[in-house]
Amino acid sequence: MVKSNRIIIRTLLTLSLAFSASTAFAADGENKENEPKETDFNLLRAAIKGWHVRLAAGFNIGGTSPLPLPKEIRGIDSFNPTMNISVEGGAHKRFEHSNWGMMVGVRFETKGMKTDATVKNYHMEAVNEDGSGKVVGAWTGGVRTKVRNNYLTFPILATYSIGKRWQVSAGPYFSWMFDGEFSGEAHDGYIRDIDPTGTKAEVTRAIYDFSDDLRRFHWGLQAGGEFRAYKHLSVMLNLQWGLNGIFPSDFESVTFDLYPIYATLGFSYVF
Amino acid sequence: MTNCNVFWGKRLFYVSFLLLSLPLFNACIKDEAANAECDITGVDEEWLKSLPEGTILGNPNIQNNSVSFLCNPNADRTALDPRFTLTPGARITYLDKGVEKDGHGAVRNFTTPQIYTVIAEDQVWRKNYEVAFLPFVPFERCSFEDYKGEGKRGYHKWLQPCEYNGYTFMSDYCWDSGNAGYALTGMATVPEQFPTVSVEGGVKGRCVLMTTLSTGSFGKNLNMPIAAGNLFIGSFDVSKAASPTGGARKATKFGLQMAAGEPICLEGYYKYTAGPTFTDIHQNVIEGRRDLCDIYAVLYEVDPDPATGKITPLNGNDVLSSDRIAALARIAEPGEPQQWKFFSEPFVYQNGKSFDEERFRRNGYSIAVVMTSSREGAYFEGSVGSTLYVDEIEIKWREIHR
Repeated sequence: MVKSNRIIIRTLLTLSLAFSASTAFAADGENKENEPKETDFNLLRAAIKGWHVRLAAGFNIGGTSPLPLPKEIRGIDSFNPTMNISVEGGAHKRFEHSNWGMMVGVRFETKGMKTDATVKNYHMEAVNEDGSGKVVGAWTGGVRTKVRNNYLTFPILATYSIGKRWQVSAGPYFSWMFDGEFSGEAHDGYIRDIDPTGTKAEVTRAIYDFSDDLRRFHWGLQAGGEFRAYKHLSVMLNLQWGLNGIFPSDFESVTFDLYPIYATLGFSYVF
Repeated sequence: MTNCNVFWGKRLFYVSFLLLSLPLFNACIKDEAANAECDITGVDEEWLKSLPEGTILGNPNIQNNSVSFLCNPNADRTALDPRFTLTPGARITYLDKGVEKDGHGAVRNFTTPQIYTVIAEDQVWRKNYEVAFLPFVPFERCSFEDYKGEGKRGYHKWLQPCEYNGYTFMSDYCWDSGNAGYALTGMATVPEQFPTVSVEGGVKGRCVLMTTLSTGSFGKNLNMPIAAGNLFIGSFDVSKAASPTGGARKATKFGLQMAAGEPICLEGYYKYTAGPTFTDIHQNVIEGRRDLCDIYAVLYEVDPDPATGKITPLNGNDVLSSDRIAALARIAEPGEPQQWKFFSEPFVYQNGKSFDEERFRRNGYSIAVVMTSSREGAYFEGSVGSTLYVDEIEIKWREIHR
């Protein structure tokens, strides 16, 4: 937790630095006559010329799900998107004489959900904490899952402006999960030893926690659009489609890959 | 105006997303796969009732790969047509001279056990069952020489040699243990790692070794942190064993109607070493407490249902407290003999009862012999590493003419 706090602080620090740089630049741009002649500063100016800094905040709504849903999943009995916040600092540059542009950013975000599903004949494996044994079986019954993963995400997007108010964007993102939880319980069902012909045992409740097995690095594709409602304020909607599973491919306890698929709905402030 | 639209646009989007997400998920759900299970789930009650009264003694013992009936020794077993209830969609077959035939209600000769195959609805999974009609033979003694590998992990299950009309057969409906439950914890991969195993070094031939073992994180999550080695006359219904409120105790059904007369004493040999650290159900260490083994025999009253022969057995909750108990023989203070120690414990009558010959003649008594490496193991208290060896168990009876 200490580690994640430190990362949050670092992110905010980066964002505030970007913010002050942009205000300095904006003030500078208005007084072209008085611009300093210093070479270094000119280089910096050239580098950030045409870049607009933006701050965005929103909510992530979505799920971490196998795609397509395997036939073992017989029903989703409840789904709670939970409160997932996303805070982003970014820079956008629109190429000269073009509707095209690019956007890079850094985003602190949470992707989480809670589900209760009914499964039938779902193959599961669970290694004992001390590594002394492995439960292998076919589970039929309920599975409650809680996912709450915190990421530091770096999107690299191409943008296209449509008129003065609309802009669409798309591109890859790369995420570092610095804190994650994947836990839950199997409830009100039965397990069969090894396969569907094995010994049957009814289980009322058995908890599990695979938080330590989560993959740290994620990537995927992001696409979305924004509508500039005011001069500085936009409403935006982005879809993030995870392209690697949240567990390593050799992880046996969850036999199918789970992909994070989330929509971000929020506002951005363009300086 | 724009402001208002944007606001409502967002709100509407959010609400509709939530409303849509559930049906959306459920719309993605694939068609249900055909059932993969292939169980004999029960014995058809109507068929049981159709048999002549007194044919079947007590409850059929349905395990994952076998169904055993105790039957009247005089009953005709050459042409029986058992009917079972199965997993929905499954069917039961048997091989008749290499040809697969419908097994439901098929007339077969049960002087020896017969094999059935249950085929799942998906036509992929199938399971063989050995169905046995075992002539009722009273319990006299067991040397624990005969056992078989059971389940996918091959844990040991003891067979009781029975003599009947001059020939000997092995009954798998006598002794049972909690091994089937331990299999599900994943802690054991070979038979020797189970709480109850057959080993060399008995008083004569082989003997039984019972060890109290940890059940790992699976057992801990179910609030069953240890498994005491045990062996008893009766049956263990593993399917009910993992329920939280004493499921394992309820699933342990003690005793069969195998009384041979009026019980006099329980005899046998044992040796015992308690494990180093005594823990309670929450795995708290209880300083200074030493684990105890338990060896006892209980004679209790049963009243079979006239139509089906079914009885209500005692279980782990009431095997030592039921008011149906007639007599009990138990080693009160077994200690920790390191060499084989002979014991002979008399049956002591309980609850103001005495032996009722009339009850005996109508099979109104069940007898259970129970052994465990941790006396409070049913309540998940004991010491991991406690080891109990037992051999040559015998009940001496005063013979009574039936």
